[in-house]
Amino acid sequence: MRRRLPTAVVALAVLAAAFVLLPVAGLLARAPWERTGELLTSDVAIEGARVSLIVSLGAAALSLLVGVPLGLLLGRTSFPGLTVVRALALLPLVLPPVVAGIGLLTAFGRRGLLGGPARAIGLELPFTTAGAAIAAAFVSFPFIVLAVDAGLRSLDTGLEDAAASLGASKWYVLRKVTLPLLAPQIAAGAVLAWARALGEFGATITFAGNFRGETQTMPLAVFEALQSDPGAATILSLVLVVLSLAVLIALRGRFVGVGS
Amino acid sequence: MKMRTALLVAVLLVASACGSNEPTAPKTITVFGAASLTEAFTQIAADFGDQHGTKVRLSFGPSDGLATQIQEGAPVDVFASASPKWMDAVEEDPGVTDRADFARNLLVVITPSHNPAGVDSVDDLGRPGIKLVLAAEGVPVGDYARQMLGNAGIADAALANVVSNEDDVKGVVQKVALGEADAGIVYRTDVTAAVAGDVAVMEVPNDVNVIAVYPIAALADSPTGSLASEFVTYVLGPGQTVLRDAGFLPP
Repeated sequence: MRRRLPTAVVALAVLAAAFVLLPVAGLLARAPWERTGELLTSDVAIEGARVSLIVSLGAAALSLLVGVPLGLLLGRTSFPGLTVVRALALLPLVLPPVVAGIGLLTAFGRRGLLGGPARAIGLELPFTTAGAAIAAAFVSFPFIVLAVDAGLRSLDTGLEDAAASLGASKWYVLRKVTLPLLAPQIAAGAVLAWARALGEFGATITFAGNFRGETQTMPLAVFEALQSDPGAATILSLVLVVLSLAVLIALRGRFVGVGS
Repeated sequence: MKMRTALLVAVLLVASACGSNEPTAPKTITVFGAASLTEAFTQIAADFGDQHGTKVRLSFGPSDGLATQIQEGAPVDVFASASPKWMDAVEEDPGVTDRADFARNLLVVITPSHNPAGVDSVDDLGRPGIKLVLAAEGVPVGDYARQMLGNAGIADAALANVVSNEDDVKGVVQKVALGEADAGIVYRTDVTAAVAGDVAVMEVPNDVNVIAVYPIAALADSPTGSLASEFVTYVLGPGQTVLRDAGFLPP
């Protein structure tokens, strides 16, 4: 049942909506529409979109790979220092991305802690697409950890107990009961992680540099264009706006607003 | 590297906070300077501020980005560019006064101090496998570097080695100083005391080098009027010593 809201709240909500709408309206008003075709088919846009897709999808995959196990560990086990590990797992969400970038350099850069071993096996991350994906994954995997951790807390453990009492192994219970039950949360986390990876800027430019076709994602392309061709920057920005909106509308809150 | 996003946001915030119809306090002037001027202008601004009892707010970045910000209405009183190209743009819109060239600069090749790739000459920059970092096209030092590589006749080979186009010259210095890149092309004034221990410098022969010319001007619509002009005069006068110490050539 719907309840009526105080007028003041409605007014503030309208302001909030305007807060989001105005910058988009500004982009629309400023965009040099007559150059749309030329700009959308330019190397910068095509290569930027390609790199962005690879990097954001790669980052989402990496995030799932490390985020789900960590979320399970945090949500299902109890050990001394759990609070610290939980805080560490969420640190990339709070850190300024440029700090994340410096941290990644000191860990995986040429002279980083793991730089030597990584090179020994032929893995060079700075200035590579893989490096850009690592940077994006670093800042986005906490979304999956959070989703799994939170999902576990609201999960009815009865089904898992039942499976275990019928002789199912731990691995079997995890695969056939726990993970399927968590699927909506994991999917929601993955979408948020992907969206965060798509928008990544600071860690990427710091750790992976800026090279078209290799590490120049759309946000980096927008930033570079802004220096000398603001018109191009607005068109490229609108591509990101449209892409992000399309994803959100396609999901219609199915994942993000679970229970609504 | 320089966090220009933050800078841009700050500038936009300031722009929205004090808008053009609300005059800046007369005792503060805002100077936009090319990233390569960071150290010299920080000193000059401090000296000028002491002498005139004014506060000088500084913002450094790539000249192309600064020019764009000025054209977008950033409240700036003085602009110092690393290239006449971007001063021309600002002179056209929104307009400047007291324009003069105040310094020149030369390019050098820098490598990490242990020079892992053994870069010993400009020609080595075209050797396959070298990781070269330049400033992006449009950024003055990026354009000058490409011109220099062309003069040396190795443009194609060297550009194939570029692994990152940094958004300003300081970004190039950082990537090399951190040891992530094998070589970079920067102004000789960018090898400051802060990074001198981390990088090795290789001079570029005069016959292929490119001389960067730095113009400065007061913005025509600066509400500080004569104070902006005084700063320009100061840079052309007493400020020259600081610029010379930093390695800049006379205009």
